[in-house]
Amino acid sequence: MGKVLVATDWLAACAGCHMSLLDIDERIVGLLEHIQLTSTPITDLKHPPKEGVTVGILTGAVNNTTHIEVAKQMRERCKVLIALGDCAVFGGIVTMRNQFSMQDALRRAYIESESTVDGKIPSSPELCRPLRARAVDQVVKVDVYLPGCPPSADTIYYVLSELLAGRVPELKGEHLRYD
Amino acid sequence: MAMVHITINGRELTVDAGLTVLQAAQQAGIDIPTLCHHPALPDIGACRMCLVEVAKQRALQPACTFPVSEGMDVQTESPKVVAARKFVLELLFSERNHYCMFCQMSGDCELQSLAYRYGLDHWTYERPHEPLPVDGSRRYFMLDHNRCILCRRCVRACEEISANHTLGERLRGAKTMVSADLDVPFGQSSCVSCGTCLQVCPTGALIERYSAYRGRDANHELQHTPSVCAACPVGCGIDVAHRANHVVRISGDWEAEPNHGLLCVAGRFEPFDEVRERVTRPMVRRNGALVETDWEAALTAAAEGLKKARSKAAIATGRATNEAFHALATVFETAGIWERPVPKLEYGEAGTLADIHSADAIVVAGAAPGARQRVVAYRIRKALDHGARLFVIGNDEYLEPHASLVVADGEAERAVEVAAGAASPVVLYGADLGPGARQALRRLAGKARFVRLVEGANAMGAAAEGVGAWNGMAEVDALYVLAGDDPQEPPALPKAGFTVVQTAFKSALVQQADVVLPSPTWAERQGHLTNLEGRVRPFDAVLSAPEGVPAEWQPLVSLAERLGKK
Repeated sequence: MGKVLVATDWLAACAGCHMSLLDIDERIVGLLEHIQLTSTPITDLKHPPKEGVTVGILTGAVNNTTHIEVAKQMRERCKVLIALGDCAVFGGIVTMRNQFSMQDALRRAYIESESTVDGKIPSSPELCRPLRARAVDQVVKVDVYLPGCPPSADTIYYVLSELLAGRVPELKGEHLRYD
Repeated sequence: MAMVHITINGRELTVDAGLTVLQAAQQAGIDIPTLCHHPALPDIGACRMCLVEVAKQRALQPACTFPVSEGMDVQTESPKVVAARKFVLELLFSERNHYCMFCQMSGDCELQSLAYRYGLDHWTYERPHEPLPVDGSRRYFMLDHNRCILCRRCVRACEEISANHTLGERLRGAKTMVSADLDVPFGQSSCVSCGTCLQVCPTGALIERYSAYRGRDANHELQHTPSVCAACPVGCGIDVAHRANHVVRISGDWEAEPNHGLLCVAGRFEPFDEVRERVTRPMVRRNGALVETDWEAALTAAAEGLKKARSKAAIATGRATNEAFHALATVFETAGIWERPVPKLEYGEAGTLADIHSADAIVVAGAAPGARQRVVAYRIRKALDHGARLFVIGNDEYLEPHASLVVADGEAERAVEVAAGAASPVVLYGADLGPGARQALRRLAGKARFVRLVEGANAMGAAAEGVGAWNGMAEVDALYVLAGDDPQEPPALPKAGFTVVQTAFKSALVQQADVVLPSPTWAERQGHLTNLEGRVRPFDAVLSAPEGVPAEWQPLVSLAERLGKK
């Protein structure tokens, strides 16, 4: 049997979830005997292959039009989609922005932030449009939810191991954490 | 009492009729999850976490409010029940802001632990993300409406425990908001900062400013040590949470007499206002300046100064322990505490604070519990809620608006006249008891219980050792001042040629001293305190004192030896 193909990507994320994935440490060597990472946001290949993968992992919340495209592409190209981390699962800290109007949020970020001089709100038509922040499952169907900020490396390892063993991982006890 | 036969999860039980399903289950050791339920509060069935399946009932019923009845068959974890609880949790999480990662209660939150218990790994419903205010107008704590689940524990605590009636709720349904008085900022409301609402809040909605992010019970970051509050003579039982030899939070001890969990601002929050510099090494005055020295040299200097004196006396904070007062009385024939004396009536049967609860008339005479023994004032208001009537002779700003009659001492007769018609009156009297009240109250002797509201946290312990109120002597040769960690400076001290000060903190007092001896703080000392009812309460040290700071009584015991007194 060939290796199981796994693709990951991040949306509105802080990269902490991917850090936690790398925190699997040397166990990742063992994992890589069984899986092949086709694409990640921190490798040269960013997009899941057209031929599809078995497992897709998304971290971060959906908060602009590009995120919707990325999430839809991942969903189309994977069999099992994992929402990894509080932002992907619940919307998380990114949704704090929803408490303000988009104009206020953009003005705060691009004009009023303390380090900004002569700021302006980007308006190029090439750029995506910001949206109200939301969880991944409000855009595409999610198969496995893995909350945590970030989920511990042990929990990520557990979930991947369970999937490799052909089981749907059930999060409970030490593996279910929201912080 | 009548008994009924019920079955919970197939277990046959015989329980008192009149219990709720939750109480019956708890008695049998059967766990039913709860959220709005709190053992110190009446149940209202607000949150629906304790839903159980009762045979022949059309819908699931909340165990906390549903009474048991003969032949009842209850299932507490059936698939239908578990599905309903998950649904309730999803609804709770979907409203407002329940993101745990930046909440200081994460790990200690009751809502979170229930979600863990029921394996809630995502929420089905879209979140409204409606921005709600964070009320930071209180000095010691904040109310974050975004974290509130509307369980009304705070509202019930404000009503039923502190009886202050500040918190309530306004609007209906999803728009419901906890609000103070007629929706004013918490800090401008009638709130008395007793902090009971904080103590019962199951989520991060009511957050104490000091303890926030300083440690959690999760992962055993905090340790807990029971102690006795030294802020006033009520002597409330407290639970002190501490970490790395620092006090993090003070909570009321639910099991303790006489407070049963209730505290006031002086006990719960004000200890954290202490900012004075510590005295950790003994000092003696040499050539006009205080210099640090060792214990041997300091005690020798103190003993010599006291030996030389023809007249000597000691004045102490009423916060000192029974042990310290015992040692003080051994060394000094003339000793007193600096708080005001409270006369002892020669008539009437002594009562306890528990008598307030069953009283139908309460007379407060020459006392101001609303300012000095606040937990007593809250207990009085609770009694008023149950129909008791209050008569104030003198002044108590906090209680007066709730009194049936407020009179000056000269008109004490008028108040006593009405109170005399009650079946079980209680009289609370204090330092300002005037001749009018003294005379008039005699009429209630034989009927009423009399509670003496002494001043000085351990005035009763001091009195038991023969240390009464300071006699007002104007001049002595040598003076020993046991200031301990009292946040109040002593009143005018007698003139003395030689002064020894035992204190935990640097202050103006230290500047007058010839010898300074370090003393532990309330959290570092151990011993006994006697409250105004005469209840003697032992307590252990919560923290270790800085190196070289001995027990509160130790310097006095050493001086007794040096002065040849046992």
